Amino acid sequence: MSFTHLHVSTAFSAHYGVSWPDELAQTAAADGATALACTDRDGLYGTVKHLKACMEAGIDPIVGVDLAVFDDDGDHRTQVAGRVVVLAHGNNNGAGYRALCRLVSDAHARTSGKAGGAVPAAVTRGELASRTLDPQTLKPVLTVMIGPDSDVGQAMGGRKYLRPRTLFKQWIDAMPPGTIVAEAVSHLSPPGEPLSTAHAVRMLKLALEYNVPAVLSNAVRYCAQDGAATADVLDSARTLKSLPELSTAPMLQPTGQGWLKNAQHMLQLGKEIMNAAGQGKADLSKLLANTEALADKCRMDPVLDMGWKKPVVPESSIIGINGDPMVELAQRCEAGITKRFPGINGEAEKRMRSRLMHELGIIGRLGFASYFLTVAEVSRMILDMGVRVAARGSGASSLVNYLIDISQVDPIRHDLIFERFLSGRRSTLPDIDIDVESAERHNVYRKIFDRFGAERVTLMSMQNGYRARGAVRDAGMALGMDEGEISDIAKQLWRFSARKFREALVEKPELRDFAGRVERGASEENQQLDLLVDLTERLDRLPRHISMHPCGVILGDATLLDRTPVQPSGLGLPMSQFDKHDMDPMGMLKLDVLGVRMQSAMAFAVREVIRLHPSKAEVVAAGKHPVEPGGTGPDFIAADGRIDLNAVPFDDEPTYELIRSTHTLGCFQIESPGQRELIGKMAPREFNDLIIDISLFRPGPMKSDMVRPFLEHRHGFAPEIYPHPDLKPVLQETHGVTVFHEQILKTFDVMTDCGLARADEFRRALGDEIHEPGVEVYFRREAIKKYPPEVVDKVWGTLKAFGSFGFCKAHGAAFAVPTYQSAWLKTHHPEAFLAGLWEHDPGMYPKRLLVAEARRLGIPILPLDINRSQAEYRVERIQDGPDQGKLGIRLSLTGIYGLSGAELKRIVAGQPFDSLADLRARARVSKPNIKRLAQLGAFDVLHKDSGGKANRADLVQHLQALQGSSTKKAADVIEGQLSFALGDVELRNLAPELPAPTMVDNVRAELDLMAVDVSEHLMDSHRPLLDKLGVTTADKLLGLRNGTEVLVAGVRIATQTPPMRGGRRVVFISIDDGTGCVDSVFFHEAQEQSGPLLFGTRLLLIRGTTRRTGPKGISLSASKAWDLSQPETFPFAELLPAGGGPPDDYTHHGPLHGISRNLAITGLGS
Amino acid sequence: MGLFSESVEVICTDTGQPQQVQWKGMQYTVTNEPVRWYERRQWWLEESRAPLGSGAGLVDHEIWRVQLQAPGEKETSNGTITLDLVRHVGSGRWRLLRIHDAAPARAVEPDEAA
Repeated sequence: MSFTHLHVSTAFSAHYGVSWPDELAQTAAADGATALACTDRDGLYGTVKHLKACMEAGIDPIVGVDLAVFDDDGDHRTQVAGRVVVLAHGNNNGAGYRALCRLVSDAHARTSGKAGGAVPAAVTRGELASRTLDPQTLKPVLTVMIGPDSDVGQAMGGRKYLRPRTLFKQWIDAMPPGTIVAEAVSHLSPPGEPLSTAHAVRMLKLALEYNVPAVLSNAVRYCAQDGAATADVLDSARTLKSLPELSTAPMLQPTGQGWLKNAQHMLQLGKEIMNAAGQGKADLSKLLANTEALADKCRMDPVLDMGWKKPVVPESSIIGINGDPMVELAQRCEAGITKRFPGINGEAEKRMRSRLMHELGIIGRLGFASYFLTVAEVSRMILDMGVRVAARGSGASSLVNYLIDISQVDPIRHDLIFERFLSGRRSTLPDIDIDVESAERHNVYRKIFDRFGAERVTLMSMQNGYRARGAVRDAGMALGMDEGEISDIAKQLWRFSARKFREALVEKPELRDFAGRVERGASEENQQLDLLVDLTERLDRLPRHISMHPCGVILGDATLLDRTPVQPSGLGLPMSQFDKHDMDPMGMLKLDVLGVRMQSAMAFAVREVIRLHPSKAEVVAAGKHPVEPGGTGPDFIAADGRIDLNAVPFDDEPTYELIRSTHTLGCFQIESPGQRELIGKMAPREFNDLIIDISLFRPGPMKSDMVRPFLEHRHGFAPEIYPHPDLKPVLQETHGVTVFHEQILKTFDVMTDCGLARADEFRRALGDEIHEPGVEVYFRREAIKKYPPEVVDKVWGTLKAFGSFGFCKAHGAAFAVPTYQSAWLKTHHPEAFLAGLWEHDPGMYPKRLLVAEARRLGIPILPLDINRSQAEYRVERIQDGPDQGKLGIRLSLTGIYGLSGAELKRIVAGQPFDSLADLRARARVSKPNIKRLAQLGAFDVLHKDSGGKANRADLVQHLQALQGSSTKKAADVIEGQLSFALGDVELRNLAPELPAPTMVDNVRAELDLMAVDVSEHLMDSHRPLLDKLGVTTADKLLGLRNGTEVLVAGVRIATQTPPMRGGRRVVFISIDDGTGCVDSVFFHEAQEQSGPLLFGTRLLLIRGTTRRTGPKGISLSASKAWDLSQPETFPFAELLPAGGGPPDDYTHHGPLHGISRNLAITGLGS
Repeated sequence: MGLFSESVEVICTDTGQPQQVQWKGMQYTVTNEPVRWYERRQWWLEESRAPLGSGAGLVDHEIWRVQLQAPGEKETSNGTITLDLVRHVGSGRWRLLRIHDAAPARAVEPDEAA
């Protein structure tokens, strides 16, 4: 016999289910089951994965949901009366699945989409009843299982006779005939407890009494018994209670028997229930037959019921097309030719047209014309909003995309292959990714909803799974461990999978202390640490919750909401319960509309330029743009001074000079320590170099050592080698090294004549254990016909090694555009560009580093001023003082700790203020915030103008004293009458009592309240000690010989542990010392030497030897690090050349001392 | 573990049901259909490890209530004893958990045992 499980939660039932759909499907199939249900809690989160798993296991999928039901008698908005399982009927052309989707959306319609909302996801019984019947045929398309978690099941306890009957009767009365069954479950808990055999018996008898069919299930939460402990920990994480607390409550699962039992076990279980019920074999057969009958009714046809892999795009009428979309697309391409290729003719035109025909042919055969027109429509809509937009990814490989304005990259010029994007051999919708200004992303989403209609659009979601830190926190909470202790442990976990925790304990130096405690724990203090490690490993990767995907928007036709359930996102807009892996299987068109902060920063910079220089002549002068004799400057600058960034030619020499200098902080894609090292070595000269650079700096190429040979060939240190002259045209641009996917495709094509479409399939198979051998057989068989065996061997070796790692050149080309544009802005308009960076914070570094970069560039940083600072960073022409006439950047009022958005708005609206009283009266700034503004020097000018003799410290003290006194009422009364007269008096009459705050005090306040050191670099005050120690500054490093031993010191700005060849971890730590960045690398030995300092310290003193990486590049190979904030730990005897003890000022505490609030100061984040 | 004082030998049917019990040197036959359930363990206190793949028996243990009849006694007589037996999943060993009917006084309530 076989048994079908109808009630199964997968791991996608967040904080509830333990096992993955494929484990469950494989296990069921291995036991001879022919179908398996997936009934996740609250949604269809695991449904598509379940479908796929079942198809792979060769069994029929059954889909359903485990939903809470509102109490009919209680408060409808919040009170829930138990849970039921709802199964969709199959083989009815999707009527069951449709009803299920709508029902799940109903359950979420009232929720807020925010964590901890008051309204739970639940349906009313009325909603449930109305969804069970198909609106067209009025036939049942859903079955509701009333089981142990339902109000009926929950009322089974004790000796209550009537209550379960009343409740069951209510169900029968409320639901259409034939839509409910009773679900008998026994987890074999002690007699009389929930989920005991006795309860199953009661349910069974109730069903019999009312003539409702009963089915048997095991309410599965885990595939095998081993998962029970994980389920306990998940219960703890869900309820936020420790296991001991849950045990006392008692709220734990009564036993660990909720596993996917095989048919034999289920039969045995059925027998035990029937025995206890005093019923016989025939009754057992009936129970099992009912179960299988319901299973049969619910078998889904993935294609006919759920639209498996059937692409659906918006109706063409919605994008304003009445005729054939293909004709429309061809016409638009034609129109694009005149714009993109003005005056093209001859051979070039022939090539271009043949490419266009080729692309249109494929698009036509696949029937994807409406898809392209839809994306073009979105793209045009965004442009019309005046928002910067750029296509990213393989979409740049398409000439059609270029012609209809989706992409900005000419695929012919950059030799990009259409088949990498789309071919006749792929029937899934291709990805087109669109980058927009991050600050405008939500507006763009709303506009898309408006444009296409809410029934055709939803946001995509993403699954957030447990990683090491979250897992250790929740495992610790389950064990009831001390929160502080857990927090300390969590901080040391650095980018490894939770599943490898025990392995990491042995290997990672920063976990050495903890590992020691675990070992000792086994014998003494507490055994919990050992358990903590095991439980952390158990939680690894399990889904915790879904959230809005950072860029995915799903577009469909009017039936979209019949095909995916939706729930509110944090943004308020509806979000699908499906994630990116579910898109292709469900035939959903996903558009990636990614908010890119750099695009916002660049748009901001362009606006600042036009504000400061409102004419072409001024912009040309300010940016030192080239002017031809007799000309007025480049065409990309309009008469009013607006710069059209997309029209800036890619050949500006000063821009490449800046890039080669490696001072690329703030530039898109090339600011990371590793990238600065790479561009230092590579010295890019032209746009194609940037494409190659970006493509090389990827995990794959770095890991497979493609970079070194490439650089050697590029600089002519080693002769270029081609496996065969035929491959020279393919590999020439990268000096014989295979870097791009496109080159893999061409290599296959050249050597086997397979065509580019098949070549792309071969490329996808590389690195795939199952499919790669077939590709190898094919390649060797075909290539040997034209090439000698050693060439075939060598090329296959390259394909095998690099194929799965290479980078798509179209991606690189699309990325290189903003890279170049940002470097161009930094070169020509650095003040506006940096202001844009501070405003939108696009990069990987803390903002304070970009402030330091302005200081390094000699751009004045203008302090906070209550009358001059705005809600955003502003470039200002300096009116007086030593910097008169220069452009400086004025700090913004945003980002001050404690200052609310409303206060900020009132300040900006009320400027200028002539006194503190004026500020209090009109901007209604709270007392603590007035004090904070004073600490930051925002009143210094006002104070000076008032003629007062006191200093900032006196003012802060005065304001502090006022905080204690309660003047609220009085202020209301005297508002408007006394403010003007008193304000001046208040500042002027302030008695000078205290010494002025030191520079360190001021910088500390800035760091504490703004996370930025403004008045001076935070390292400056450490300088005396560092000078004594003979510490080398970043700007001096470049002048040193390779291999010089040095000490460097600075504040941490970045920590990276990239994947490495050979698998041994290497830690890169970058510090900033005010003269620039020092990038240091810690190999194994240095990690051992430095231990916990590797990840936990903000200020570092590092000893190491210089490694020259290129003409403009130098980095440090570290041997050991110390914590600069604890100079008492330095081995002074060893460090000071003259020997002896510590210098007098070694106890100096810098501005960072005592600040614990703001991690954004340093590069300590995730 | 170590909660239970007395070890017993149990012979099971193919489906894992107790059939014969050897207790205090006597061989008993299980008369009625035995009843089975599981009881929770506070594994986070009782165990120092819970690695993935530790299998069954971490969260609960299996308990069987059996009615025994000594050899030679008639089925109808009052000479039946009801015992709760616990099977340790890992080792497959059986121990006595509770004695229900009148029984030799030597048996102690196992929960009180050291």
